[in-house]
Amino acid sequence: MSASNSNDLHRSEIDAYGFKHGEDFDYDSYEEFMSRYLSILARRASKWNKLLSGSGSVKRSSKVKRYVRKGIPNEHRGEMWMCVSKAKKLMDSNEGLYQRLLGQELDPSIQSEIDIDLHRTFPENIYFCNDAAASGKQDSLRNVLKAFANHNPEIGYCQGLNYVVAMLLIVLKDEEKSFFLLEKLTKQILVGYYSKNLRGLNVDQMVLGELVKLRNPNIASHMENKMAPWSLVCMKWFVCLYLDILPIETTLRIWDCLFYEGPKILFRVALTLVLQNEESILTARDTSQIVERFRKVKSQPLNMDCHTFMQKVFLDSQPLKMATIDKLRSECEQNL
Amino acid sequence: MALTNSNGVVRSTSVTGEFYDFACKVMLIGDSGVGKTCLLVRFKDGAFLSGSFISTVGIDFRNKIVDVEGTKVKLQIWDTAGQERFRSVTHAYYRDAHALLLLFDVTNRHSFENIRAWVSEIHEYAKDDVVVMLLGNKCDMTSERCVKREEAEKLAKDNKIPYMETSAKSGLNVDLAFLAVAKDLQVKKTRRPNDPKFSVLEFVDQQKQVPSKCC
Repeated sequence: MSASNSNDLHRSEIDAYGFKHGEDFDYDSYEEFMSRYLSILARRASKWNKLLSGSGSVKRSSKVKRYVRKGIPNEHRGEMWMCVSKAKKLMDSNEGLYQRLLGQELDPSIQSEIDIDLHRTFPENIYFCNDAAASGKQDSLRNVLKAFANHNPEIGYCQGLNYVVAMLLIVLKDEEKSFFLLEKLTKQILVGYYSKNLRGLNVDQMVLGELVKLRNPNIASHMENKMAPWSLVCMKWFVCLYLDILPIETTLRIWDCLFYEGPKILFRVALTLVLQNEESILTARDTSQIVERFRKVKSQPLNMDCHTFMQKVFLDSQPLKMATIDKLRSECEQNL
Repeated sequence: MALTNSNGVVRSTSVTGEFYDFACKVMLIGDSGVGKTCLLVRFKDGAFLSGSFISTVGIDFRNKIVDVEGTKVKLQIWDTAGQERFRSVTHAYYRDAHALLLLFDVTNRHSFENIRAWVSEIHEYAKDDVVVMLLGNKCDMTSERCVKREEAEKLAKDNKIPYMETSAKSGLNVDLAFLAVAKDLQVKKTRRPNDPKFSVLEFVDQQKQVPSKCC
């Protein structure tokens, strides 16, 4: 790679998080987007630096919420996730816990479930690919999943957590922090998502169906007619929190909101994806066509532009109250 | 659009505009890590890229149209997550499956021991006339093998299902597994009363290749 050509920076096959671009990666759209996004990033970075000058941490406020929605700059992202989710507080009050959990023996059947997935987690990422033993990220992934399983016997290991933890490790660059953020995520933000009966996950997929019914009854009834349950389309959205569904930069912007605002953002993003593909869903002739069309969301240029996408999420999905979700959850719970 | 093929069947078009006569749903099931996705990719694209596979979350699918004696059969192949907690999700798809390819890994004893449990799930959730095939995958890994072919054959025989050893890596018997399913459907759909019956079991026994033993 020649350093003299500035285009090479963007044409790099590997992104800032270590992911190799797929064969269908649209470099032209990406460059076009980045040329606009760089100035936004610079402006956000200076605002965040001002916000954090002095204390280095933030308190909940409408200003901070707005800042988070507009994206946490990479250099602050890890610390801010720890701060706004209160994972940092949890970690500080549980000194030594992570090391103790690591020292405990894990049920061999759970350990082997984890081990099977280690080599199948982001093989296209330079930190996790199978010849990256030197970077040690696969070992860190094993450690965090082990400590988590030891601490949460009712969950153990759930497939999908491998991706979530790998991403936490990429951003936080620290096992113990990743562990405590995972604790917050699974115990307070996404309750019951990864449990043995996946109850929270199943309920929320039904809730999405109800929300679509309220917002766009045509789509809801078309899905029903084509015998396409929402779980077929959106299970991975909710399990992997849009990892491998949307471009990585977009996913991280969603996670910014997830750690500050909670699970609402997952529904708002889902609604946006459903509504923006209305035409292609309504013209799909069978279940498989519906699945195929949803699979294309990753390469839609609109979704690569994370900034415009997030603006669209908050516009398209209209205000969504947690009370509405809770009400739908309890109704769906009864139907489950 | 409707066209008629040489067997007198009305043809429809698939999403990609390809013609096909029948569509059928095939599901890949079995423990986590036995190679379901690899088998599917080998069949679909003829490729095996070691170290490039990711674990499947939830349920995914791929289409492939195959030719069975002039009849185009569209196989809609559903790939599932193997972990037990996701089974409640995948059960829902069993009942309209035409065929279930049940995989274990010949280098993983545990995945073989779980086959009985998988078979009883099939009895519980799938249609009575579903075609089931037992596949012992990763048979190229001869030095790590810990399930003998004979024991797998016996288990299959006890359950009256065909057994084959496959390798998504070398491609051994991979196409055959899917073609046997397509052939079964083609015969079911086009068979006239006096035509001979088709047995997947016999077909597979005649056609399958036996992996060479380690020297």
